[in-house]
Amino acid sequence: MVRGFKSFHPIVLLVYYIFLIAGLMLYQHPVFLFVAGCFVTLINLLLDGGKQIKKWGLMIFIMCIFSIILTPLFNQRGNQILFYVFNNQVMLEGIIQGVMIAFTLFGIIAIFITFNMVITPEKFLFLFSKWFPQWALLIMLSMRFVPLLRRRLKEIQEVQQLKGVSVKNGNIKQRAKNGMLIIQILLTWSLEESIQTGDSMTARGYGFGKRSKYQPFYMRKRDLVALGYIVCTGLTVLFGWWLGDGVLTLLPILEPVWLQGREWFYLAVWLLFIGFPIWTEGKERLKWRYFRRTT
Amino acid sequence: MEILSAHDVSFTYPESSTTALKKINVNIQKGDFVVLIGASGSGKSTLLRLIKQDIAPHGKKHGSFCFQGKQLEEHAPLTMAKEIGMVFQDPENQIAMDNVMEELLFGLENLGYSTVEMRKKVAEMVHFFGINHLLNQKVSELSGGQKQLINLASVLLLEPTVLLLDEPTAQLDPIAAKEFLYTLQRLNDEFGITIVIVEHRLEDLFAIANRVIMLEKGRILYDTAPRKIIYELMSHETMRLFLPSPSLLYLNYTERLHIGDIPLTANEARSWLQKKRITSKESSEALSSSKMTKPILELKEIDFQYTKSSPPILHNLSLSVHNGEWLAIVGANGTGKTTLLKILGGILKAQHGTIKYCGKKVKHIDPKKIGYLPQNPKLFFMQDTIKKEFLYIANYHRLENADVRIEFLLDKFQIHHLQDRHPYDLSGGEMQKAALIGVLLVKPSILLIDEPTKGLDPKAKEIFGELLLTLKKEGLTIIMVTHDIEFAAKYATRCSMLFQGEITVTENTSLFFQENNYYTTVMNRITRNSHIPPVVTLEEARQKWHIIRDS
Amino acid sequence: MAHNKGLLIGISIFLLVILVSFPLLNNQHYMLLSFIIMLASFLPFMIRFSRRKILTRELVVLAILAAIAAVSRVPFSSLPSVQPTTFVIIVAAVTLGPQSGFVIGTLAAMVSNLFLGQGPWTPWQMYAWGMIGLMAGLLGKTWLMQSKLGRCIYGFVVGFLFGWIMNFWFIVGVMQEINWQAILLYYSGSFYFDLAHALSNVFFLFLFSKSWMNIIQRFKVKYGLFPTSDTEAQYSFKKFL
Repeated sequence: MVRGFKSFHPIVLLVYYIFLIAGLMLYQHPVFLFVAGCFVTLINLLLDGGKQIKKWGLMIFIMCIFSIILTPLFNQRGNQILFYVFNNQVMLEGIIQGVMIAFTLFGIIAIFITFNMVITPEKFLFLFSKWFPQWALLIMLSMRFVPLLRRRLKEIQEVQQLKGVSVKNGNIKQRAKNGMLIIQILLTWSLEESIQTGDSMTARGYGFGKRSKYQPFYMRKRDLVALGYIVCTGLTVLFGWWLGDGVLTLLPILEPVWLQGREWFYLAVWLLFIGFPIWTEGKERLKWRYFRRTT
Repeated sequence: MEILSAHDVSFTYPESSTTALKKINVNIQKGDFVVLIGASGSGKSTLLRLIKQDIAPHGKKHGSFCFQGKQLEEHAPLTMAKEIGMVFQDPENQIAMDNVMEELLFGLENLGYSTVEMRKKVAEMVHFFGINHLLNQKVSELSGGQKQLINLASVLLLEPTVLLLDEPTAQLDPIAAKEFLYTLQRLNDEFGITIVIVEHRLEDLFAIANRVIMLEKGRILYDTAPRKIIYELMSHETMRLFLPSPSLLYLNYTERLHIGDIPLTANEARSWLQKKRITSKESSEALSSSKMTKPILELKEIDFQYTKSSPPILHNLSLSVHNGEWLAIVGANGTGKTTLLKILGGILKAQHGTIKYCGKKVKHIDPKKIGYLPQNPKLFFMQDTIKKEFLYIANYHRLENADVRIEFLLDKFQIHHLQDRHPYDLSGGEMQKAALIGVLLVKPSILLIDEPTKGLDPKAKEIFGELLLTLKKEGLTIIMVTHDIEFAAKYATRCSMLFQGEITVTENTSLFFQENNYYTTVMNRITRNSHIPPVVTLEEARQKWHIIRDS
Repeated sequence: MAHNKGLLIGISIFLLVILVSFPLLNNQHYMLLSFIIMLASFLPFMIRFSRRKILTRELVVLAILAAIAAVSRVPFSSLPSVQPTTFVIIVAAVTLGPQSGFVIGTLAAMVSNLFLGQGPWTPWQMYAWGMIGLMAGLLGKTWLMQSKLGRCIYGFVVGFLFGWIMNFWFIVGVMQEINWQAILLYYSGSFYFDLAHALSNVFFLFLFSKSWMNIIQRFKVKYGLFPTSDTEAQYSFKKFL
């Protein structure tokens, strides 16, 4: 889908993720966190059919269960005692907090899963090169070397195996030692070869003048509109937090969990904000479905 | 028009007593295609690097270079980076970026072009090279030949007027090398780019170049047209080996030389031969059919694939190797040659099939009976001197009298004086010998060699070939994987062709190449399908041919 | 300039101490504050390096050392919890100096995350490895880094420190409430990994630090790379101590 969420300018995407993560950490309220979790899951489904999030599923589940069980055991500040476990009082406040921790954890991990799909290394480097060109170049060089070094490592391992240097033989100490000997060969070899890379870069004029950067992305009108939408809804979300909406007060007195008055408004804005990828990606989906039907 | 010139250039490396270059004077004209030749250590790479001053080696330099009438130092560095492009030997190490597009853009970005300009230039270049399909690939997915073409394209994008190349085909297989050289020819013909190339592989280059400069011990010995230099070099001890075989054939069988007649290509040699009448000597009719010794190694129905879902590399492969022979395994890229060698060496394990060693079925061959010399001898070394490396190996295998054997081999291979050097400070040929000693310490009965001639100059190649021949005579069985047809034709007892993971044919070397139409030596291409007895190498011609008269 | 640099280093170390001991000081907006503190001690170095002019060859050497640090895990895939990255960063930093150490550490984290996927831990990991490199570089000419015992001690300590900083993303991002028992519980959960990390650092530093430092030193001299600025910083820091 050429025009879906991923197609926006990297800066638009970055701003979205900054507001999203900030919002998730600030809105510490079960309802806000729950709907955020649902929306992020939906975004995952839209982007790759939920393949990536399934891989993390078990780990997220275990961590969530742990935080729901353990938090009430350690957090014993509150007023509403529910029951006792091994002479420890379990508070309603503790349980609510455990649930919120679980939601936050799930949300953050799910957000980063989409982040890795949306902000590809290419876009990441584009963002980086805007502000830190020398770093961006270093990262690119290093990324170029990783597959090369992996291949060299494999070659070294094969040859050294015949000389008896292998991570598969002997006790753990011997194996760790052999592993490091293999990397040591990689070090000596690759350092020497890297000089040639430097020379080839110099030969092509690196380091003499001011470098320009090829811009594979440029801001179009739709990017600006999207940026406006994200910044407006995002700032409203932050303003809501500043007013104290969307944060559940646990102490000294537990606030009712159900939303009241103005909070409904901020919940709506919050959903409008998070939903941005759903609107854009969903529109494309519908378009394709329609396209297929008519042709 | 003169574009590049050297005036009395001398150069000495730091901490070196001998001068690397002595009073070099050269004028290179616009549109020249110059080949720089010379034995290793003659200073040709040094000269090339001095022209590209940003990467010039450190040391004491006298004299000056001029580019378009002005001294190099008087031009702005950025102009020089743009005007004089350079391509290096190793295709892999020159690449700085992760994918092809970024790599092509790299130089343009350094010169500060705008995105629109860059797009236009890259589009043109991609069209010229026909590399559209590679544009979005990661560089790690390309073959060596493709990498070198990308390196060339990346340099050409800066629109240089002079292109310097330092052994650009040394690491490529013969087909990729040819393709690369023809691209250079096109650039020279169609765009008038001046080319200065240092190269050992001269089989095709003499026909393309219009000038050859030969350096010896830092001095220019000859600077003249290709045919002329061939004439001069025919009696030169080492450089003779560098000459293309059509010319060598001519020089061997002509009494009255005409420089203008010296053939540079197979085609020219063929038309010259038409005027000759040659018959076979009777004695050599009975071609010494090498008697078959007992097989030392037998493979039956070997299958191999890396993972369950990946395509099979070897399939139903059977092969037997005789005791004391030198078997060459040839074939195109990606046919599984190296994989086969790794299975023999015990690095990989076949999923199906049997291996017999000396008639007995074994799971894998005893590692002490088999030595493996990798394609890149660098990754063999772990210690910081070669002597230490040998002692380490001897110690690991608990060899008795290791010292004596190490001394013996060091002397035999004539690298005794290098024993305390760091392995990486040796030349390609020396490093290969050192690695070979390491492999031979345990006295294996089979030696596996992967692509031994890669990056070696013809002299080092010959030394290594003769060395292996001596070892063979002493009873060592050699199995070699190679792209180098000429080398295989000269030294191997038998040749096997690998195709689609299977050995399709195994034959005595001479017969093997005579039966091939395309995959064969230059000598055979010249002599096959003609009125003269076909031969595979010049040596064979010397034994076999009886020249009646010039017609 | 040297004065400037000293000040910068002084401040960043001060901030590091505050950050590490941070959960000890209960504060209302610790999440935001800790992130700001981290950035404050981190960004100056990033910007400083961004502006510095270095030789192309040096740039490539830094990139390749970071790549080696990042892939060094590969041969040990059959040995879980052996983590040689920190070792590579330390030996490179000692030989090439604090600035290079910082760059290699940060870069190694960034590159391995670009291959394996970013996460909320990315900035913390960059910070942790960057600081390990910076400190090792600064201490490069002191007894601590010149003796094998000292290096092993440093490796052991930073093994735990690394885990401590890496756990921050969870504590400040998810838990949000500073609660001693919960933090202790969380850290005891990662104790085994941190111990393995610390011990493998000691193991590698004990057996290999000398030879690795020799290799890098030999290379540095052979090509005349990283000649003065960083070494000066090492000596001035030694004097300062």
